[in-house]
Amino acid sequence: MYIIIAGCGKIGANLVKTLSNDGHDVVVIDPNEESFAQLENGTNCLTITGMPIDEDVLKSAGIEHADALLAVTSDDNVNIMTAQIASQLYHVPHVVTRVYDPEKDEILQQMGLTTVCPTMLTVAKIGSLLNETEVS
Amino acid sequence: MRIIIVGGGNVGYYLVKTLMAERHHIMLIDSNRARCERIENAFGGAYVEVTHGDGTNAECLRDAGIYHAEALIAVTGQGQNNLVSCQLAKDYFGVKRTIARVKNPKNIRVFEQLGVDSVISSTARIAGSIDSELDWADVNQLLTRKATHVRVREALVNTHSPYNGKRLNEIGLPKGMIIVTVVRDGEAVIPDGETVLNADDNVVILGNDCDLPQVISNIRGERV
Repeated sequence: MYIIIAGCGKIGANLVKTLSNDGHDVVVIDPNEESFAQLENGTNCLTITGMPIDEDVLKSAGIEHADALLAVTSDDNVNIMTAQIASQLYHVPHVVTRVYDPEKDEILQQMGLTTVCPTMLTVAKIGSLLNETEVS
Repeated sequence: MRIIIVGGGNVGYYLVKTLMAERHHIMLIDSNRARCERIENAFGGAYVEVTHGDGTNAECLRDAGIYHAEALIAVTGQGQNNLVSCQLAKDYFGVKRTIARVKNPKNIRVFEQLGVDSVISSTARIAGSIDSELDWADVNQLLTRKATHVRVREALVNTHSPYNGKRLNEIGLPKGMIIVTVVRDGEAVIPDGETVLNADDNVVILGNDCDLPQVISNIRGERV
């Protein structure tokens, strides 16, 4: 698959690593060039410096023929806008949006976006860890 | 009409001032406390209520009274935030009319396609009025008659432009070429050597016909 990753923070950099190791073609976009230092040496991917909400930046990343876009910057609203440009304007088949705000996450799902909410994942995990300790 | 305004910077401030004079009921939201206080102190009262918070957060919009609002106008400096405020208002809270400000004129189409009712770009507006007041074709015709090789052109500075973030005296324009004006955030700047070019600036440039194409494509960040 041809995959665009918007945001090269911890999650972005690790997604790049995992997905390129799995043999996917990966392009990563970040407005700060220094962010790409997080990529491991020898990681096989293309880096583009720019704002992912800028259509020209997305075009230079090859959005017109991308199979997937993962919006994982640290800014919920940048992710939401990037994801919608990808899904609604360029009809990218697989689009995933990371959202920290749980209520926004629910609303976006109602609007038809595929989302991941790290806040609620963490809460759920901690909750289940507590339950496990209670049982044992 | 009851109107929510998200963003209490300069645009928001004057918008509140204008709309309250027309007897609209304004509910302003800004994430910056100082900006909230400035508007509260200047206009706070029966017609203007101020809420400190994130205008892209559903709870904050509820606190501000979005269920009673007939319109939401998002005028922060961040396009993505304006988009999300408008989408929450329209799709989730059922607000009838949404208006967003964009800085980057390229985003007008994006916002419209993503469901915002009206999209305002001061940059595009000013650039448009420059275009209409000064018809380049006429200017160029005049120039051709008077000085055969001089032309006026305009171009938008791209993020990838080698000029992005540079001072004019660093750029090294070819001899005899001059940047007449830089349109930025709705204002036309008459530049000097210390003026820094930024992405999305609209540059009006006068110069030699044979040097212009190279400089224009540099401004636009096109790979040659």
